[in-house]
Amino acid sequence: MTLTRAWILLIALSLGSTLVAASGLSGRWLAVLVLPLAWAKAQVILTRYLGLAQAPAIARGFALVLALFMAALIGLAAWPA
Amino acid sequence: MSAADQRALIDDLPGDLMMWVLIVSELLVFGAGMLAFLAVRITDPAGFAEAQSHLHRTAAGINTLVLVTSGWLAALAVRDAEAGALARLRWRLVLAAGLGAVFLWLKAGEYADLAREGLSFDSHPFFTFHLLLTGFHAAHVAAGMILLLIVALPATPRATEAGAAFWHMVDLVWVLLFPVVYLI
Repeated sequence: MTLTRAWILLIALSLGSTLVAASGLSGRWLAVLVLPLAWAKAQVILTRYLGLAQAPAIARGFALVLALFMAALIGLAAWPA
Repeated sequence: MSAADQRALIDDLPGDLMMWVLIVSELLVFGAGMLAFLAVRITDPAGFAEAQSHLHRTAAGINTLVLVTSGWLAALAVRDAEAGALARLRWRLVLAAGLGAVFLWLKAGEYADLAREGLSFDSHPFFTFHLLLTGFHAAHVAAGMILLLIVALPATPRATEAGAAFWHMVDLVWVLLFPVVYLI
């Protein structure tokens, strides 16, 4: 993926988050839909902008930690009140 | 893993090792803050939702586009540094820093409106977290802008890559912070 394609993807994911937030969804469903979009954006920034695509072993480590972190965020956001 | 393997792994890391130590440290601090924010929210979801309604969601959404575009310019500047296109590199870094100023201007508008409404750190736990997390992030945006302008002077590949890496960390934190604090 080129840097410009990565930027277009980030813009598209950001607009996707805005659309989901503007759809009227709230509560845990909003969190379950919006946080994975943020996760995808973070992955693009790590691999393309920060260049981890050149270091696959390190990229896998970052991806694992990010996945655990996002799972924790989604779990807390969807936690019943 | 042998010492040679570890060395090879570190050598694979793009850019400066110390910048990565800084990036990982910052990500851990912001990550802990976001987890604490959502954990405390469980105790008062209605209060957090009411407090969130005072924020500038649209401006924060625009700020996401602003930072993502700024990060793209910084990434292109690294490529310019490798190609020796110094004039183009400097313009891109100045534009990236300029977008950082746009980000801070929009954020300042939100802080000013909260202050006018009498909302501050101690109004509600939501605002304690909001002001700490976004304020700390805004301080990093300001530091990143200065760093981008400083590395634009020597414009060496190493300096540009280090400045851009810090800027991408700022970008990365925001794309995670924005939905947690402003949307969900």
